[in-house]
Amino acid sequence: MKKLNIALLLAVVALAVYLSVLSPGAMQSMQAGFLSFLAPFLRTGTAVQEQIGSMGKGLKTLDEVEADNRKLTEVNRVLLTTNNLLREIENENNRLRLALEYRERSVFRLMAARVIARDASTWWNTVKINRGFEDGVETDQPVLTDVGLVGKTTTVSKNESIVVLVTDETCRVAAKVEGTREQGILSGMRVQDSGSGGELQLNFLTKNAALEPGQKVYTAGISNGVFPSGILIGKVKEFRTRPLDGQAIVEPAVDISQTEDVFVVVGAK
Amino acid sequence: MKAVAGALAACVGVFAAFLLQQALPAIHVLHGARFVFVPMIFCYAAMALPFPGMLLAAFCTGLLSDLMYLNVAEGRVEIAVGCSIVFFVIYGCIANGFRLSFLRGHWWPVVPLSVICTSSFLLMQFAMISLRRDGFVYEQAILWRIFAPGLLAGLFAPLLHAVVSPFASLIPENPWSTREY
Repeated sequence: MKKLNIALLLAVVALAVYLSVLSPGAMQSMQAGFLSFLAPFLRTGTAVQEQIGSMGKGLKTLDEVEADNRKLTEVNRVLLTTNNLLREIENENNRLRLALEYRERSVFRLMAARVIARDASTWWNTVKINRGFEDGVETDQPVLTDVGLVGKTTTVSKNESIVVLVTDETCRVAAKVEGTREQGILSGMRVQDSGSGGELQLNFLTKNAALEPGQKVYTAGISNGVFPSGILIGKVKEFRTRPLDGQAIVEPAVDISQTEDVFVVVGAK
Repeated sequence: MKAVAGALAACVGVFAAFLLQQALPAIHVLHGARFVFVPMIFCYAAMALPFPGMLLAAFCTGLLSDLMYLNVAEGRVEIAVGCSIVFFVIYGCIANGFRLSFLRGHWWPVVPLSVICTSSFLLMQFAMISLRRDGFVYEQAILWRIFAPGLLAGLFAPLLHAVVSPFASLIPENPWSTREY
């Protein structure tokens, strides 16, 4: 092998090693830059897919009616989501009134976002949305729909963000089960069945929890956590007793493969 | 010049492959396995290009790959930027060893190389995230998701050769030339 080739080989490996020891923040900054570069291609691809998908619809309805409908649907989803959050607040308020206690509870500001790309990797469950730090989105903000929890933001670039889905193994959520005092840590599975909306595992429940299929699972909202309390995550599908604890298999409320519009919780009102 | 032109063409091809992969859905009948074209394109480039060009292609492929799949969980990066570069450099050195044979018209080694490179790339990703998370898990779907994309890449490799080889003459100082040997 020529000396020049050996030198080049060593230089590339040294560069790779240098990159690998960068801080997670620096790597995320690089990824954000790459995401900004990639976004026009993703948006174009999504636009082409939408154009192809809406060819038939365009013949039946006027464009303005379609735009109005989209806008109203979006408003409706915001209202439904806000309503769900308020209902939870009302329930909690009633409980607290009964107990003669008071706890301040914030109402959340939602930002509508559109999914511009779905996950295309084998091992991670993520989507990309069309909102970034210019829109007020930050890292680790909850993402939801009117139906329930979707996930949280990870890398945020100028106008796009990556959302790690609740079905991903690395997205861990403190969760509670409706009608019980059971709380646990919920996460996705490493390998999700591609034909369904996925499954979640709720671990660290008590062994004698005896949860019934169909019971709803909500975020528990621990202090300084990412997710506020009371967001629907899914329904219990199955309960298993393990040597040390109980585990519930949860069916997610949101089927992200069918979801195009989501909301980012960008702060309190 | 030919190394740079060839490597740039390879980088554009790899980028296009990433976009194509992004658009293609998982294959349900193969337990959610996906089309993974990037290692196949890299293998082809590594066989066709001279060593410096292969290194440039390996760097671009690895960097794009790491940035595409970077996942930060609880403040920790699962696969650090740079790991895939090392993988593609090692694999590129192996594939580059077949260059002389490739220049003599024997393109078929790209098929087994694509199969092995694609599956071993996915296996490497799985091993690294397993080490970062709660250990290894075994499911039949995991084997499908590692080996099925490799086999698919092997099926598509001859098609890639059929599409790319007519364009070889467009690159200044044709990289398919055997002059340097």
